[in-house]
Amino acid sequence: MAAPADLRNDDSLRLLGRQGQWPLALGFAVLVLVGAINVWLVRSSAEQNERVAHSFEVRATANRLLGYLQQAETGQRGYLLVGGDVYLGTHREGVAQTMPTFEKLQQLTADNPSQQRRLAEMRPIIERRLAELDRTVELKAAGRDTETLALVRSDLGKRLMDDLRRRLGAFDAGERRLLELRSQRADSGAILLLVVTLAGLALIVAIAVVAYRSVARYTRAIELTSAELQLLNTDLEGRVAERTADLTAANDEIQRYAYIVSHDLRAPLVNIMGFTAELNAVRGDLAAFHAAAIAKAPELDTKEARAMIEEDLPEAIGFISTSTAKMDRLINAILKISREGGRVLTPEQVDMTALAENVVRSIHHQAGEARIEIKPLPAVVSDRLALEQVLGNLIENAVKYLDPSRPGEIVVSGIERHGVTEYAVTDNGRGIAPGDHERVFDLFRRSGTQDRPGEGIGLAHVRALVRRLGGTITVTSEFGVGSTFTVTLPKTLLKMGGRA
Amino acid sequence: MNPNPVTIVMIEDDAGHARLIEKNVRRAGVCNEIKHFADGTSALAHLQSDAVRAEGPVLILLDLNLPDMSGVDILAKLKADEKMRRSPVIVLTTTDDKAEIQRCYDLGANVYITKPVDYENFANAIRQLGLFLSVMQVPEPE
Repeated sequence: MAAPADLRNDDSLRLLGRQGQWPLALGFAVLVLVGAINVWLVRSSAEQNERVAHSFEVRATANRLLGYLQQAETGQRGYLLVGGDVYLGTHREGVAQTMPTFEKLQQLTADNPSQQRRLAEMRPIIERRLAELDRTVELKAAGRDTETLALVRSDLGKRLMDDLRRRLGAFDAGERRLLELRSQRADSGAILLLVVTLAGLALIVAIAVVAYRSVARYTRAIELTSAELQLLNTDLEGRVAERTADLTAANDEIQRYAYIVSHDLRAPLVNIMGFTAELNAVRGDLAAFHAAAIAKAPELDTKEARAMIEEDLPEAIGFISTSTAKMDRLINAILKISREGGRVLTPEQVDMTALAENVVRSIHHQAGEARIEIKPLPAVVSDRLALEQVLGNLIENAVKYLDPSRPGEIVVSGIERHGVTEYAVTDNGRGIAPGDHERVFDLFRRSGTQDRPGEGIGLAHVRALVRRLGGTITVTSEFGVGSTFTVTLPKTLLKMGGRA
Repeated sequence: MNPNPVTIVMIEDDAGHARLIEKNVRRAGVCNEIKHFADGTSALAHLQSDAVRAEGPVLILLDLNLPDMSGVDILAKLKADEKMRRSPVIVLTTTDDKAEIQRCYDLGANVYITKPVDYENFANAIRQLGLFLSVMQVPEPE
C-alpha cells in the first residue's frame, strides 16, 4: 500500500522541480536582457547628451566668429576715425582670431556635410572681408585718406559683412534645428531608460514572487516527503523493536526450556543411578550368597549362573552407570550454557593482553612443555567474564589438541581494524579435517580421534558467548599442521537492557 | 529415651527419590518414623492437623519441585504457623539456583541440600544427613 504512494510522491516532486526551474530560468534570462538594454540605453543617452553639448559648442563658436569679425570691423572704424595704436590693436586681435575660430568651426562640424558646404561658401567672403579691412588700414597708415574714404564709401565692406551675417544666421539656424532634434532624442532616450528600468524592476519583483512560490512549494513537498519518510522510519524502528522483542522472548523461552528440561531430566537420572547402585549392592549380596550356596552344595554350581552373577550383571550395571554418567555431564553442559545465556553482560574496558596472560597462567599445569606466546593485544570494551571463558576455552583447546610428535607452539595475537578487534589463537597441533570445520562448533560434536576427555561443549559454548558479545568466530585449519581460531568482536559492546 | 521420638515428614513427589532417601537415612542408623507425602496438599493437611500440632516434634524433609504447589509455598506456610515454625526444615531438592537457595533461607529454611546427581555423593549426603538427624535436638511442642 505504501509503495505506490511513495512512487507518486517521488514523481510529483521531480515534476515540481522541473516546473519550478523553467519559468525561473526564463525569468532570469529576461532579467539579463533587461539589464543589457539598460546598459545600452544609458550609454546611448550619454552619447545623445554629448551631441547636444557638441551642438551648443558649435553655436557658441559660430557666435565667437561673428564677434571677431565685428571686433576687426569696430577696430578698423575707430582707427580710421581717430588713428592711434589702441584701435589698431583691437582691429588686429579681431583679424588674428577670425581664421582660427573659423577653422575650429570647420573641425567641429566635420561630420555635417550641409554645414561644411555653408562654411566652404563663407570662407572666400571672410577672406575678402579681411583683405578689405586690411587694405583700408594700410591706406590710412600711409596717409592716403582720400583713397581710404573712397574704399569705405564703396560700401564693399558693408555688403560683405551683411552677407556674412546672413550666412552665419543660416548656419546657426541649421545648428539650432540639429540641437532641437538632438535634445528631443535625448529626452525620449531618458524616458525609454526610465520605462525599461521600471519594467526591469517589475520583472524582478515578479520573478522573486514566482521563485519564492516555487521554492515554498518545493520545500513543502520535501517536508511532506521527509515527514512520510520519518513516519516510515519510526514505523520500521518500531517493527524492528517488535521483532527483537519477539526474538528475545523466543530466546528466553528456549533458555527456560533448556533449564527446565535439564532440571527435570536430573530427577529420573538420580533414580536410575541410585537404583543402579542399589542393584550393584544387591548383586554383591547375591554373589556372596551364591558363593556360600555352592560352598555348601557344589553340585548347584553351573557355568551359566556364575557367568550371570560375575559377568552379565556387572556388565549391564557398568553400561547403565557410564551411560547415566555421560547423560549427567551432557545435561550439566546444557544447564551451564542456558545459565550463561541468561547472565547479564556488563561491558567494561578490558586489557586483553593481561587477561590472556592470566588465562595462560591458570592453565599452566596443563600446558606442559608447550610454548605459549602472547603478542600485544588490542584492548576492547566488553564483558570480562565472557572474554575469559572464550580465550580460556580456545587456549585450553589448543593445548589439549597439540600433536605429541612435535613441541607445541601456541600464539595468541590480535589486531584492530574498522571498529572491530580480532583475536587469533594459532597452534601447531593436530589440526581439524576440512569437513569438520563447521561441525566443531556444534554442541556435543567433536572432531578427530576421540582420545581426549571432553563432551564437545567448549567450542559450542565459545560460539554462543562470542555471538552474545556481538562477534563471530571462525576457524582455519590444516589437518596435521595446526589450527587458527579467530574471534572478531565489536570494539565496544553496547550495553543491553536485561537479557539479550 | 525420648518420650516422643521425632517424626520425620518427607515431602517428595518422586517415589524413587523417596525410597533412596529412606534407604540411605536408615543405613545411617536413623530409625525414627518416616512419613512420606507425594504432594504438598496432603503434606500440609497432615502437618496442620491438630493431632500433629499437639503431638511430638517433627523434622521436615522438603522437596521444592512438587506437582501441586511449590515447596517454597509450603515452607512459607510452615514458618508462618505458630506451632510449626520451630520445626527444622531441610530443603532437599535438585535446584541449585542461587536465588532459590537464598529465598529458602530467607523464608527460614534450616538447611538447604542440593541432591547431587552423582549417586555416590547423593547417598553420602543423605547418610551424613542421617547422622546429623540422629544427633540434632528438636524443640518440644509448646
